Amino acid sequence: MRYNFKGKSSIQGSSLTRWFFVGPAMLVVICLLIYPLCSTVFYSFTDKTMIRSSYNFTGFENYQRILTDSGFWSSFVNSLIWTVFGVLGQIIIGFIGALCLNRIKSPVMRNVFRITAIIPWAFPSIATAMVWKWLLNGIYGFVPVSLQNLGLSEGLVQFFSDPDLVLPSLIFINIWYGFPLIMVNVYAALQTIPQDQYEAAQIDGASALQSFIHITVPHIRTVVGLLVVLRTVWIFNNFDLIYMITGGGPAGASSTMPIYIYDTGWTGRMVGRASTASVLLLLFLVILCVLYFKVINHWEKEDVK
Amino acid sequence: MKKLASAVLLLLMSISLVFAGGSAETSQAADGELSGTITFWHSFTQGKRMEAIQAAAEEFMAMHPGVTINIETMAWGDFNTKWNAGLTTGDLPDMSTAQNTGEVAEMLNVGVLHPVDSVIDAIGRDRFSANALGDMTVGGVVYGIPYYSHAQVMWYREDLLAAAGLEVPQTWDEFYDAAVALTKDGVYGAAVSLSPNDLLGTRYLNYYVRSAGGSLLNDDLTANLTSTEAIEGIKFWVKVYENCSPAETINYTVNDHATLYYQGITAFDFNSGFMIDGVRNNRPDLLPEVSCAMLPRMNEDDPLYSAEATHIPLVIWENSEHPEICEAFIEYLYEESNYIDFLSAVPVGMLPAISGISETEAYRSNEIVQQFAEEEAVIAQAVDMGRAIGFEHGPSAQAGLLANQGIIEEMFQDIIMNGTPVEEAAAAAEAELNEIFATMVQ
Amino acid sequence: MSLKKRFTAGSCFSYIYLAVLCVMAIFPLIWLVVSAFKSSGEMLANPTKILPVDWTLENFKTVLFTLRFTVNIKNSLIIALATTVIATVISALAAYGIIRFFPKLGNIMTKILITSYMFPSIMLVIPYAVVMRNIHLTNTRTGLVLVYMSFSVPYAVWMLVGFFKTVPIGIEEAARIDGANRIQVFTKVVLPLVRPGIVSTAIYVFINAWNEFLYAMLLVSSSSKTTLSVAVRTLEGADILNWGSMMAASALVVLPSIFFFILIQNKLAGGLTEGSVK
Repeated sequence: MRYNFKGKSSIQGSSLTRWFFVGPAMLVVICLLIYPLCSTVFYSFTDKTMIRSSYNFTGFENYQRILTDSGFWSSFVNSLIWTVFGVLGQIIIGFIGALCLNRIKSPVMRNVFRITAIIPWAFPSIATAMVWKWLLNGIYGFVPVSLQNLGLSEGLVQFFSDPDLVLPSLIFINIWYGFPLIMVNVYAALQTIPQDQYEAAQIDGASALQSFIHITVPHIRTVVGLLVVLRTVWIFNNFDLIYMITGGGPAGASSTMPIYIYDTGWTGRMVGRASTASVLLLLFLVILCVLYFKVINHWEKEDVK
Repeated sequence: MKKLASAVLLLLMSISLVFAGGSAETSQAADGELSGTITFWHSFTQGKRMEAIQAAAEEFMAMHPGVTINIETMAWGDFNTKWNAGLTTGDLPDMSTAQNTGEVAEMLNVGVLHPVDSVIDAIGRDRFSANALGDMTVGGVVYGIPYYSHAQVMWYREDLLAAAGLEVPQTWDEFYDAAVALTKDGVYGAAVSLSPNDLLGTRYLNYYVRSAGGSLLNDDLTANLTSTEAIEGIKFWVKVYENCSPAETINYTVNDHATLYYQGITAFDFNSGFMIDGVRNNRPDLLPEVSCAMLPRMNEDDPLYSAEATHIPLVIWENSEHPEICEAFIEYLYEESNYIDFLSAVPVGMLPAISGISETEAYRSNEIVQQFAEEEAVIAQAVDMGRAIGFEHGPSAQAGLLANQGIIEEMFQDIIMNGTPVEEAAAAAEAELNEIFATMVQ
Repeated sequence: MSLKKRFTAGSCFSYIYLAVLCVMAIFPLIWLVVSAFKSSGEMLANPTKILPVDWTLENFKTVLFTLRFTVNIKNSLIIALATTVIATVISALAAYGIIRFFPKLGNIMTKILITSYMFPSIMLVIPYAVVMRNIHLTNTRTGLVLVYMSFSVPYAVWMLVGFFKTVPIGIEEAARIDGANRIQVFTKVVLPLVRPGIVSTAIYVFINAWNEFLYAMLLVSSSSKTTLSVAVRTLEGADILNWGSMMAASALVVLPSIFFFILIQNKLAGGLTEGSVK
């Protein structure tokens, strides 16, 4: 006695069951994400401040002000640099780490390396900030003082106050914090590649580079693509690290979009203007991610073939 | 689709029902005995001050079984953000400290404070200094109770000055020369810290401008960064930064900054008596070498002056359902033994805001108070003569905003990092401040 | 011959690369933990010296007993665990629902979820502050957990959709024939199959909740309810700093995380891979 599975499901009043499954998540999205989005868009057209309950509609005045504010644009450029180099650095360092890990034959050493290398990932941002602030301190920090003692630098390197070094230093800290996630995930993906494919390639006389391009890359690019999306969003929106280490200074040299929004909305209390900046930031992110997903979808389709 | 909509609606409604039922009510018992719960925010996040207040609260609760006092502490730097956010979230305390006198003016600007004249009278109006009360009086009503006082003085290291054969500087020029002379061998003359997340740039500029008889605010409470004194002052501190300060301090906050002096990295610093406790906590070996004097002047024959005295206030919030409990608790905090316990948490750092305390045996018996008696006298003098930043025109929200928006600090950073001409940067910062005043002051 | 040489050169490089990476990774930890055993004076007098002259437990005592960090540890645990459990349940249901019941609509649903994962928390925090006030959850751990759903659920659904895709529909049909209802199929048949995916997703959610800082700082003010990260930040913002306590507090924030990571490091690996590589 065989009955129609699909038919059954639609008969059994299962639309309620369906909503039982997706309802709570929809609720989260509606309450916690759609509402704030609407209110942010709404406030972006007002002169609302944090300390007053009344406000007026100001049309596109906020947009005009923000888009002509040099602070906004320098934060935007900093955000791009911070994100692009942060993502690239994490991916490259982590990716090579995973490839190397895959090469290590001794299981003991492999575990030692793997466990040690994930330590930065376990650092909550407050601890990351604390430690690196001390290590890179330009007056008594371990790293600048050691560099000077070793004769590698003239005077103390100013990691946090030299406007040319502050953003790179922060990016370095961010890479330090984030590469383990990439490494661990890419390593796991590498292990799913059937070993016999490499053996076959070797027999066919393929070089290491060739087997890397034709076997390794296709197997792991979806994972790497996903990681890139996740990390891009995370790094672009990251607030804690910069806020706790430099607060965006000196003279805005390390101010990114989230810092700019915080300064406008919380320190400056201009909720309306901060909302405008948020809307612009979100718009940019959405455009970026649509592009990303186009690429990943393309890969996924290729994988199916 | 209809079903979806109704299911979502149902869930939303049930959730809001669950959450709506939670506001607790307390009431005052009929016999006049205090009863209810109050929340007390303060920013004494570490060590003995926190403990002293906690202990007082526990005793108070033991005396009044119907009363619960919830004490919440928050970082000094986040305090302003916190109550600003509270205006939006409704998460405000019944009573709190304020970071400084200027902040009381800001709170008043938003209309969130409860008058405290009755508490002042209960403690004894004549025991407070007229300056301190004046800083918290608007329209003849007092809105803050000075809890402790301190003032900015110049700290120096006796050993370093002696080794270089230098006298304690009396004028800004002497200070600069001494600071330059002491900048060597890993020691810096003085740190100029300019993080926009803190107020040190404003504070330093205010010293200089006040010593020249000027003010950062005009009589009509607009900002004034372009007066001759202000421009000179900005140039002076840029010069100090460039020649005697570690480069990194350009983005330092008060804490980063003070740590340098605690460590013996800076020879001079400007701060209140809190310096002593900082050095004692971090480098006890340097404690004997630490001393202070009144701020440098323009010319040696100028009269002594004080650029910034702060009376850290206790305030009661208008939204409190139990101002009577707050009042009673505050009066309890000022009872002699409680008050001295509290002050002794940071000896010489926190000077009594009421008379009749500093002479007592209990107060004077503190080891640090004895060791730093001279310094205490200097600071006490500065407290008597000083007002809060910008309060020479009376209490105003503008004075608070002047210090806590980081505009002056950004101006300094801009001049130093980007080489913006001083006059240009000062005019831009002045315009920005005036715009903020116009937006924020009601 | 040449093959063998290539391999040794390769693994030689691998060892060096990983060794450098590991030193970089572990050095700050060692430095932090060792510093926490120094007296404040020693730390400031000679900041470049790594090992303390006198080892002291004073800093840890201060942090744990005087500053009551145990309370903050408890708060962080409660909040992170509650977030993990609730978010994982909601997301597992949603991911399954999307795969099985909304094959067409599902694609749009996941897109919406992913888009919402992009919302910067700095943008959301003001509206949340208002929402929390309206539902009387300001300054509560419950409120914070609720807010944490905003970044946990989208992420977890996204991850889990990948895992649920791998469950063959045939198994479910068989169970249905045996008389199991939808929910039984889900709990008895499907869940056990995707357990590894759920575990690794839950771990990621936990880590993010444990490390969260911005909401915790701005939405909760009671010191009895604040999380560990905010408590450390509060210490740093004290007007008289005690660096010894700061180091000990930071060590206390880091060490439990590290033990947790080592404990679960096998599960961490699964993460994105199993879900997305089919």
